[in-house]
Amino acid sequence: MQDIEQMKWALLIGTLAMLMMAFFVISFVLFYQKRRFAEEKKLSEIEKNHSRLLLDTALNSEETERRRIAQDLHDDIGTMLSLTKLSLNQLGKSIGENGEKDEQIMKKTQSLVEETILHVRRITRELVPTTLERFGLTEAIDEFIHKLEEGNNLTITFQPGSEELPRQGQKIELTIYRIMQELVNNAIKHANCTKIDISLEMNEEFIGLRVSDNGIGFDVEAVKEGHLAGLGLLGIESRLAIVNGTVQYSKTGNGGSTALTLVPVRSEAQDSKPEPLHPFRRERVNL
Amino acid sequence: MLDQYLFYFRHDILANITVIVTLLPLILIMYRKAYVDPSFRLLLIFLILRFIIDLMMFHFATYRMNNLMLYNLSIIVRYALLSGMFYFKFESSTLQKLIIPVTVTFIIFTLWDVWNCNPAFNNFNEHRIVKYAVTVEALLMIFWTLTYFYELIRSLKIPSLFTFPFFWICSGLLVYYSGLSFVSPALHYAVRWESMFEIGFLDRILYIFDIVIMLLFSLGIWVFSARYYARH
Repeated sequence: MQDIEQMKWALLIGTLAMLMMAFFVISFVLFYQKRRFAEEKKLSEIEKNHSRLLLDTALNSEETERRRIAQDLHDDIGTMLSLTKLSLNQLGKSIGENGEKDEQIMKKTQSLVEETILHVRRITRELVPTTLERFGLTEAIDEFIHKLEEGNNLTITFQPGSEELPRQGQKIELTIYRIMQELVNNAIKHANCTKIDISLEMNEEFIGLRVSDNGIGFDVEAVKEGHLAGLGLLGIESRLAIVNGTVQYSKTGNGGSTALTLVPVRSEAQDSKPEPLHPFRRERVNL
Repeated sequence: MLDQYLFYFRHDILANITVIVTLLPLILIMYRKAYVDPSFRLLLIFLILRFIIDLMMFHFATYRMNNLMLYNLSIIVRYALLSGMFYFKFESSTLQKLIIPVTVTFIIFTLWDVWNCNPAFNNFNEHRIVKYAVTVEALLMIFWTLTYFYELIRSLKIPSLFTFPFFWICSGLLVYYSGLSFVSPALHYAVRWESMFEIGFLDRILYIFDIVIMLLFSLGIWVFSARYYARH
């Protein structure tokens, strides 16, 4: 009888021990999973900041390189061409006294040099938007579209918004300007459009850039899936990632497309110091 | 007849509540359309079969007939269907491949255990609960559950386990089989037509585990979303 009692207690204690183990396992799984997710989130934030930093560095290098090339073109080639033009002017005067045919060749050569000088100036301005740095986004976009209209059979309208756009940080202004350039170039190259509308909007939180065209429109996902065709769009997204901006593409009623870019007025990227480069490469978790 | 059923129901309320409580997850599976998930479809089949077997056992018990043969049969059904749920949940193909042969082996083992524990097989009145099969079943199910938890933690696919239906199903299984693993060998000696010894409150604990597993199953089914399942 006593043995049976002891056996009952042994069974009860064993059962309770197993139950405690079961509850411990369930609690452990719950809390461990939660902790690992928190860690994973933190690591992914670090990775995101890290890649943003890398991207920022790459774009800064690109701008620096553009500036250097523009400087070289302006200072070296531009100067040399101006001197060549002066020399040709002097030579032209002396040839004019000798023969008509030589004078014609000289005038043709002079006009070619002048044209080359204009091309070099244009390339220099395109490489570094000096108007953007001096006068801001509105004037830079205005200048850009006027130059485009000169050479193309295209109508480009620009609405700079109801209020005067205050100057933003150099990075934000350059980002919006480069995105506008890319979107307009895309519309000209791929959309077969005759009209492009650009508008700038601003509220307390965002600067909005809207570029619409009356072209054939496009499927964003299809373009992104393509190899080289999506590079421009990826470039836009990369630039926006640095300033925490977003872009949305939609089709307009007349068959064209609209791109709305929103960039925060005070982006986190400007305020916070980016995370340092990570010394190790983390093993990716398979999801 | 109804009086007899009611009399028996009142005679052992806790044991009979376990029969009724099966209806809760059963109705919830239908209501939440959880059967779209193959694992939950197996759970639905298990609950239906369990409810039928329980009703038959209730009927036999009411008329003072030995119903342990049905209990032994329910072990095979229970293991085959509940472990089958893991077949659809495991991501590792090795584990998936392991489940079917283990189930077949277990069924053969249980049949042998039934045969071994009941030498007079045709004498239903003297039937006894199997000696080892329930413990083996409990150990196997604990193994599958712990392996699934390990896979779940490793994959990091589920952001919140509180809202993950199969987590609660597994929790129910773990609690139920943890409780069952120790008590089940004693049932072979205790639960028989003429008991060798009374295990007293310990056989009540089993009924409590039965209710707990059904409540945890119900919780899991309640957080199931057919729309979420379709999206994933």
